[in-house]
Amino acid sequence: MLDIKDKLDKILMKVSKPARYIGGEINSVIKDVNSVDIRFAFAFPDVYEVGMSHLGLKILYHLMNDRDDTYCERVFAPWVDMENLMRENDIPLFSLETKTPLNMFDIIGFTLQYELSYTNILNMLDLSKIPVRSKDRHGYPLIIAGGPCAYNPAPLSDVVDLFVIGDGEEIINELLDLVKACKKDGAPKEVLLRRASKIQGVYVPSFYREVYNFDNTIRTIEPLNEDVPAKVKKRVVKDLDKTYHSDRQIVPFINTVHDRIILEVFRGCTRGCRFCQAGMIYRPVRERSKKTLLKLADKLIKSTGYEEISLTSLSTCDYSEIESLIYDLIEKYKDRGIGVALPSTRIDAFSVNLLNEIQKVRKTGLTLAPEGGTQRLRDVINKGVTERDLINSTREAFKAGWRSVKLYFMLGLPEETMEDVKGISDLAHLVADVYKDVNGNTKGLKITVSTSTFVPKPFTPFQWCPQDDMDTIIKKQNYLKELLKGKIFHYNWHEPKMSFLEAVISKGDRRVGQALIKAWESGCKFDGWDEFFKFDNWLKAFESVGIDPRFYAYKERDFKEIFPWDVIDAGVKKDYLVREYKKALEGRLTNDCRLYCTGCGIKDLDEGVVCFETEK
Amino acid sequence: MKLRSKFEKDGDLKFISHLDLMRAIERAMRRAQIKFSLSKGFNPHPLLSFGPALMMGATTHGDYFDVVLEDEIDPEKFKDDMNRTLPNGLKIIDCYRVDDKDLLSDRVVEGEYTIIIDLLDYGKDMGDIIERFLNKDEILAEKDTKSGKKMIDLKKYIEEFKILSVHDGKINLYLRLKISEGSPGPIHVLKALDDFAGHVFDLEKILIDRKKLILN
Repeated sequence: MLDIKDKLDKILMKVSKPARYIGGEINSVIKDVNSVDIRFAFAFPDVYEVGMSHLGLKILYHLMNDRDDTYCERVFAPWVDMENLMRENDIPLFSLETKTPLNMFDIIGFTLQYELSYTNILNMLDLSKIPVRSKDRHGYPLIIAGGPCAYNPAPLSDVVDLFVIGDGEEIINELLDLVKACKKDGAPKEVLLRRASKIQGVYVPSFYREVYNFDNTIRTIEPLNEDVPAKVKKRVVKDLDKTYHSDRQIVPFINTVHDRIILEVFRGCTRGCRFCQAGMIYRPVRERSKKTLLKLADKLIKSTGYEEISLTSLSTCDYSEIESLIYDLIEKYKDRGIGVALPSTRIDAFSVNLLNEIQKVRKTGLTLAPEGGTQRLRDVINKGVTERDLINSTREAFKAGWRSVKLYFMLGLPEETMEDVKGISDLAHLVADVYKDVNGNTKGLKITVSTSTFVPKPFTPFQWCPQDDMDTIIKKQNYLKELLKGKIFHYNWHEPKMSFLEAVISKGDRRVGQALIKAWESGCKFDGWDEFFKFDNWLKAFESVGIDPRFYAYKERDFKEIFPWDVIDAGVKKDYLVREYKKALEGRLTNDCRLYCTGCGIKDLDEGVVCFETEK
Repeated sequence: MKLRSKFEKDGDLKFISHLDLMRAIERAMRRAQIKFSLSKGFNPHPLLSFGPALMMGATTHGDYFDVVLEDEIDPEKFKDDMNRTLPNGLKIIDCYRVDDKDLLSDRVVEGEYTIIIDLLDYGKDMGDIIERFLNKDEILAEKDTKSGKKMIDLKKYIEEFKILSVHDGKINLYLRLKISEGSPGPIHVLKALDDFAGHVFDLEKILIDRKKLILN
């Protein structure tokens, strides 16, 4: 669309970071749009720098573009300065690759990573001149969504035509084949959705209805037709070695959140932390063999030219051959100045060897996540790490020359007392003492303490728990601000109103979805960004659809209660989650499932699903 | 060995910053499997140096960068290998070997620019205005520096400034500026001229191209 390109040239000088909107990066794909059957827009409901750091985009973009019949292009939420100029100059939202307006695509696929980016989805549809409600869309692109937040599809049920539950690369080809066939037959949307609902892992919200009790809980989630499944079972990649992986990754021009090669070493997690949604929904653990990883790393380094490679997973130090993998990578690439990075690490997983290896090339930050301030609380959440672990690993890091450490905690966890809050500060001070012990003084030391607020999430043992009310959280944050004074400590906290809203949407039903649309209509977008967060608009939106947000965030739920996400089968069974919740209240630990089976039920999900238990 | 490359940055890449450009060149060298030398120290990086930064939104057809390489490599091969792996909009147009002690920063003396800008007022005699502008005793302009705003005299830096053509509501200018520590860019000259002439340019619609850097 030459028209958009011309208009863009005139406005890009006036916006911040214009390179967000130009495309043309190395390894982005340019195709002849007339040579393909399906045009797919991969839509990320946040700015370019956030979206381009996302692993799912990296995988699915190249997977789809490796098909000759499909062209996948990218689109991100324009920053507000750009949005204003686009609206002023009548520029519709467009793809980066070919500057095509989004309403000319066959499919727009949103990835759902964070509840507070949902209003951006509505805004992006609106910028594309596409109605936000699926019932108003005939002859428009099919709007699909996937990602971790799709496990509770209820709040977006009026917006999204179909949800993809589970690993995208396992399902996307079937869906593309179907869309291609339907397009050829000229089948209407209703027919396409009907046929799509037969694919395992596809949830079509318009084929279901939520029915409520008088106390606002859900009575049933009813299929409206006989031939749609009562429960939609997630899809999993069974063998990560054999599944699609790309040997290219797009190299952005501007600095992104994670501006490096992302090498996924395994998927899933065996630890069983009771607050962690990712640890539950991404089960079972599937490792890539070291041989595959080394081969892949080599190709990615050649094709991207990146100077750093990040070993990614939910808990990378748990990888069976982590030490030798890091050793091999460093030895092979250190002469070229290519470093290895580990994202946030468990505090017990560090060995002197690992630290010394990594810092041979470049020192990356050291981020440790004890999550809870006291042993009692860490046992409640099944974190399974000790104060001794923290002392040992920071001692080794300081000996190896590290001067700054980031410590991540959660506030408002179930069973938390002010004593546990104080424990966060105590641990930070303990780390300072370790540094003093190693270096003689605290010169150069920087300890960053970050607390996020606990948000109860679907498919976790804590899904029945209430969230701390905002006043309590503020009290706890203020207490920590008092305790963490002094030059060496830096305390970051999360806006309590945002965490409250995150809880409401995370556990929200279709009525929350009505409020979401109202909130967007009243100007809400980029809710996860302090400068745009409009809490009052949200409260008014909830009021206007007649719901009390506190019901969703603060109410302790009954085990018998039906949740909006009960229509999804994530593989992990409810009785396991109940068992884990009860053990949490007693402060009892559950072992890592690499040791022996904890009975979560994932191995019964599907034929061919392999976890550590079935491997034995 | 040290190679000096003359390059162009054009098209959409005018929207990337100097820092982005340096990263793009570094990564292109890695993709081209060029063995460049690394700095010693905490975070090793390639021994790359560039001429003066170009403002965002401007193109260039004759900027330079120097790089120190581990192995001997034919400059032509370096150029070809790089051009195969650089993104669209970046291109090496010339490459030659220089002495290891030869510093690009000592070499750059002037920059040559062409500027196309929308005129708000066609009636004025721009030739006459520019002549009077250049005949002033001093041409003061405010420049942002690391230590805040500073007044500088543009006259010391302007070597040549003339009209190339006027048509279709646009004026095409040629400007040659001295380059040294803290020297002004073409945008400072344009703003000063615009003030002097009583607002004749649409400063939001400027195309600046650095035709080339002049080395001594």
